[in-house]
Amino acid sequence: MPIQKIMFPRARIPYGTWGSSYFPAWQASPLAEVNIGQFAAEAMNKVLGIRKVPKTELDYLITGSTIPWHWKFWNSPMLASCLGRRVPGCHLEQACATGLKAVTLAAAEVESGSKDVVGVLTFDRTSDSPAGVFPERRAYRRTEALSDVWDNFGFDPATGKAMIACAGNAARKYKLERKEVDELSLHRHEQYYKAQAAGFLKKVLVPFEVLDVQGRVMGVIDSDIGAARPTLRGLRALREIDTCVTGGTQTHPSDGMACLLVATSEKARELSRRPEIDIQFVAETEARTHPSLMPEAPAIAVKELLRRTGLAIKDISVVKSHNPFAINDAVFAKELKYDWHKMNRTGCSLVWGHPQGPTLTRLLIEGLEESADMGGGYVLLMGCAAGDVGIAALLRVG
Amino acid sequence: MTISTISAISAMRQSTLQTLGLGTALEIFRNGRLPASARDLVDEVFGKVGDRGALVISGANGIVGAGKAMQLGSRLEPFGVPILALDFPGASDGMGRHYPGLAKTFGREGAARIMENIIRMSYNGLCLPQQLKGLKPRFLLEAIPEILDAKKAHYKLFRSAFPELEIRSVTSGFPSSELGVGIAHPAFPHEISKIWEMVESNPSSLIPHPSPIPRLFWALGMIPVPVSDNWSFVLDVLFCGATLAALRYHQASNMPYWKIDKYFRKLLGANPFRAHDAIGAKGANFLTWSCLHHLKRQYGALFEPNADLNERKDTGQEYYPLNHFRPLVNWSFGRDEEEDFKIRILGPLFQMTSLILHEKRSHLAHVNAIGELCAQFRRGILAVIRGAGYEAAMKIVKDYHKLHPQAKKCWYPEAFEQIGTPEWQQLYVNAEHNGRAGIITVSRESYNSDVDAELNRAIDWLAGENIERVIITGDFHLSTQMVGADTADFYPALSDVKEGLRISGDWSRTARRLHDDFKVSVGFIGGKRCFGGFLELLMHCHYLVSVEEAGLGMPEVTLPVVPGMEGCHWPFRKTAPEKWPGLLRLLLSGSPVRAKEAVGRLVDYAGPIDKCLQTAWKIVTGADHNVARRKVKEAALKKLPKDLALPDSENNAVEAGRKAIFECIQASCAATSSEALLIQAKHSAGFMASPACRTGRIGAELKKTMEV
Repeated sequence: MPIQKIMFPRARIPYGTWGSSYFPAWQASPLAEVNIGQFAAEAMNKVLGIRKVPKTELDYLITGSTIPWHWKFWNSPMLASCLGRRVPGCHLEQACATGLKAVTLAAAEVESGSKDVVGVLTFDRTSDSPAGVFPERRAYRRTEALSDVWDNFGFDPATGKAMIACAGNAARKYKLERKEVDELSLHRHEQYYKAQAAGFLKKVLVPFEVLDVQGRVMGVIDSDIGAARPTLRGLRALREIDTCVTGGTQTHPSDGMACLLVATSEKARELSRRPEIDIQFVAETEARTHPSLMPEAPAIAVKELLRRTGLAIKDISVVKSHNPFAINDAVFAKELKYDWHKMNRTGCSLVWGHPQGPTLTRLLIEGLEESADMGGGYVLLMGCAAGDVGIAALLRVG
Repeated sequence: MTISTISAISAMRQSTLQTLGLGTALEIFRNGRLPASARDLVDEVFGKVGDRGALVISGANGIVGAGKAMQLGSRLEPFGVPILALDFPGASDGMGRHYPGLAKTFGREGAARIMENIIRMSYNGLCLPQQLKGLKPRFLLEAIPEILDAKKAHYKLFRSAFPELEIRSVTSGFPSSELGVGIAHPAFPHEISKIWEMVESNPSSLIPHPSPIPRLFWALGMIPVPVSDNWSFVLDVLFCGATLAALRYHQASNMPYWKIDKYFRKLLGANPFRAHDAIGAKGANFLTWSCLHHLKRQYGALFEPNADLNERKDTGQEYYPLNHFRPLVNWSFGRDEEEDFKIRILGPLFQMTSLILHEKRSHLAHVNAIGELCAQFRRGILAVIRGAGYEAAMKIVKDYHKLHPQAKKCWYPEAFEQIGTPEWQQLYVNAEHNGRAGIITVSRESYNSDVDAELNRAIDWLAGENIERVIITGDFHLSTQMVGADTADFYPALSDVKEGLRISGDWSRTARRLHDDFKVSVGFIGGKRCFGGFLELLMHCHYLVSVEEAGLGMPEVTLPVVPGMEGCHWPFRKTAPEKWPGLLRLLLSGSPVRAKEAVGRLVDYAGPIDKCLQTAWKIVTGADHNVARRKVKEAALKKLPKDLALPDSENNAVEAGRKAIFECIQASCAATSSEALLIQAKHSAGFMASPACRTGRIGAELKKTMEV
C-alpha cells in the first residue's frame, strides 16, 4: 500500500556508512575502564574510515547517551573534537528511546535544510556507573546519593516500583505463559547465533582494540561478551523473579556504541557504499501507557504508527524490537496478531545486552542491513523506554 | 661508472666539500691542514681584533632566533664577537629558556660567559636602537616571522644604516631572489642542529662560493649545505611535503595523526605530526602552510595545503590529543591498506624529489643527507628511491597520480633515469685518488647496509684505478663523528639468525678488504668520536690515526649486542698480550677511552688534527712517518684473560651481553684469523636473536618503530 505522507522526504540514511561496537556485558571488558564518550567518538571516526567516509563530510553531530560520563557537560562538541572534526552538535537523552530519537532528530535537522550530513553517535557505559550526590533539603537524609544505573533500574520514581515489576505486570495482564516466554527467549538466542554463523554481524559490528594510557592494547572488543546460548531445559529451570521473568528471559546491562549518518538524498548517494539503495524515513511515533506496564508500550506505538501511515503489519518485511524482557515480544505478538518467530531475525537486545543509549541504533542498523539483504521493504523498529514509554519508527529501504 | 677529474684528482663523484669551496678530502691530507680556519674567517667576516664587529640576530627570542643565539653565541664568544639579540619590547624571553641546557653543556661558568656576550636590545620594528652603531654590526641573521614585506622592510632598515652588512635570512621558504639577501636556513632543533641550508649571492650549488659565510659556519663546526635559490630549498620541500602527504592520508582514511605518525615512522623514520607539535604547533603549522602555499603557486596541486592545514595554520591546534584524551581506539592496517599508505606517502615524496633533482637544488649527497639529518628519515630520500629501484619508484608515483590526478604537473621521471650514476650510487661513500694514494670518505655517521655496499663499490673502483694505498675517513662535512652501526639494520636479525649471520658476515668481509685489498690502508678519525662498528671497520686498516681527544669505544654491551665486525678478536690479534686486559675492559664495560690513551692498543698514532693529517698522508704516501705497523696474528691466540675483571652489572641485559661477548672473544681468539670471522658472526647473530637482545635497547627500538 502506498504511503500518503513521508515524514522526512529530504533525509536519507546512506547505506553502509554505519557501524556499531560489540556490546560486552558490564564489567566484562576494557570498555568498563574508559571514558565511553571519548571511546565512542574515536570509534565512530574509525567506523567512518572503514566505510570510506572522510569525517570532513560531517556537518553536525547528534550524540545520545543516558548515563553520565566524564566531561559530559561538553557533550557533542567535545565528542566531535575527539572524533577529529570540529563541528557543532547537540546531545539527546531519553532513556532507551535515545538511539532512535537521536536518528529522528538528525533526520529533522537534514529536513530543515540547515545541514547536509548529520552524524548520530550513541553510546553508554553501564559499568561502574557514576554516583550522583544531590542536596535534597526536604528529604529525611538531607542529601541523596544515587548510583545512576543500579538505583534507577531499581526505582521508578513515578510508580515507586522497580523496573522489573512492569514486566510481571504485563505478563499477568496479557496472561502470558512461562512456557511461551521461555521458548521465545530460546528462539531469540538461536536467531542471534544463526546470524552470527552466517557472518551477518560482521556487516554491522566493528571490532575495536582499546588502548591503555601508555598506548598499549588493553583488550579487544570483538564479541558480545555476556550473550550465552541457553537450552530450553536450562531456561525452564531458572527461578522466576516475577511472572514469566527469569534471568534467561531478560537482558543484561552492557557497554557499547553505535553510529550512523543521516544526509540529504544527494549526499546520501555520494556517501553510500551502494547508492542504489535508498533509505527513507517514513514515520516515527511515541506512546505512553499506564504506570508500570512498559512492555506493552511499543505495541501501542506501533499500532499508532500503522494507523497514521495506513500500513498493515503484513506490509512490513523486517521487524526489530528492543526487548529487555522477552515478554515485550510476546505482548507485541498478541496485540498485533503477529508471529514472534518472524521478528528480530538477526538478534536483539534480549540477547546481546542493553547499554541503553546505542541499543536502538544498533537494532536499526541491523534492521536496515537485513532489509538490504532481502532486497528492500519496510523496516519497523520499536522499543520501550523508562517511564512506560514506547517508541516506534518505520523506514523504507528501496 | 664515470670518473670525474678535478685538479688532477680523480673521484667517483664530486666531494660535497667542493660545493663550499673547500676542496677535496685528498687535498686536506695533502696540505696537512684543514681548508679553513675559524679565526681567519671570523676576522674576515667580523673584522680583526681591535675592529671586531658584532653578529645581530633579529627575532632573537623566537624559536629559531633564540636557538641560534645560543649556538652561534657559544661558538663566537671565544673570538670576542658579541651577539646583539634584537626583538620587540614585549617579546617573551626565548633565550633565557635555553640557559639550563647551556649550563649543562658548557658548565655554569661557560654558560655565564656565553650569556654575558649576548647583548639584548629592544626595537620597535621601525627604527634601530641608537647603541647598535657603536657595536659595529657586521652580520645580520634575520629570524623574524615569514612575512615577505616585513622581511624586506627589515633589510631596508638595516641596509640604510649599515650598507656593508652581511645579511642572511633564516627563512624556510622564500628564495633569495625574493628577499634580496642570502639564505641561512637552519634545521630544528635550532640550539643543537648543525645543518644550515645556504643560498649565497652566486646561487649555484655546484660552484664554490666566494662568500666567506658558509666557510665560516663550516669552520665553526657546523654543517652548511649549499642549495639553489628555489622556493623552500630542499629540507622544507621534503619536510612540508611529508607533512602534506600525511595530512592527505588523514583526510582520505580518518586515521588519527598519532597513528599515521607511527606508520610513517615505520615506513621512513620520521613522525611529521609529532615534529610539528614539538617545534611548536602554531609556528610550525604556519611555516609548513607558508612553504606549501608558495610552492603550490609555483608548482601546482602537488603542494596545495589542504583544509586541515589551513585550519591549523589559523588555530595553532596541536596534532596530538591532550594528555587526558590519550587515544583509546587503536588502528591497524591490512596488507592492502599498508600498500595504499605507501603510495599516498611515497608517491608525492618521490615526485617532489624528482622536482628537487630536476631543478638541481643541491648535491645529491646533500639532498639525501638532509632527509636523514633534519627530517628524521631513517634513510635519505634518494637512498629510499634507489632501494626501491627505478621501476618500483615510477610505479609508486603513477599509482599516486591515479589517486591525485591534479598532482601530475611538475613530475620529472627523467630525474630517476640517472639512478645508475655514481652521484646516485655513492650517496654516502666517495673515493678520490691522485694516481698514487686514494681517500675513501664516509658521510654517514652510522654504518648501515647502504654504506657497506657503497664502501665495497669504492674499494672496487680504487682497485680498478690501480690504487694500492688508501685512507678511509669521515668526509669532513656531513659526518662529524662515527657512532657505530645503524641498529635499525639489525631489526630483521632479531627474529632471524640467518639475517644476523648475513649482516655480520658481509660487514666483516668488507672490513677485511681494507686489510687485504690494499698495500697500505690508514683509518683516520678526525671527529669527536668513533664507536662500535665504525671502530671495528677502521681497526682493520693497517694503521689507525686519530685526533688525540676523540672518544673511542665499543658500547655494544650496553645495548646489548655482540660486536659483529670482528671487534672480539681482531684488536687482540694486533695487540701485545699485556694490553689485552685493557681491550677486554673496553669490550665488556662499554666505556670509551680517549684516543691518546689508546695508542698501541686501538690506534697507532694520536695527536692534534694537523699532525694527524700529516702523519696519515706520510703513511699512505710511503714517506717517513715513524709509526709502527702492528701485524695481525693469523694463528690462534693463547692465554687470554679468563676473568671478566669487572663488577657485576645490576642490569641483567648488560650482564647477558657481557657474558656473550666474553664467550665470543674466547671462541674467536682461540681460532685462526681465517676461521674467526665466521665464529664471531655466529656469536653475534645468535645473540641478536636471543631474548636478552630482543628485550634490550634494539628490541625496544624495533618494537617502538616497526611493531605498529
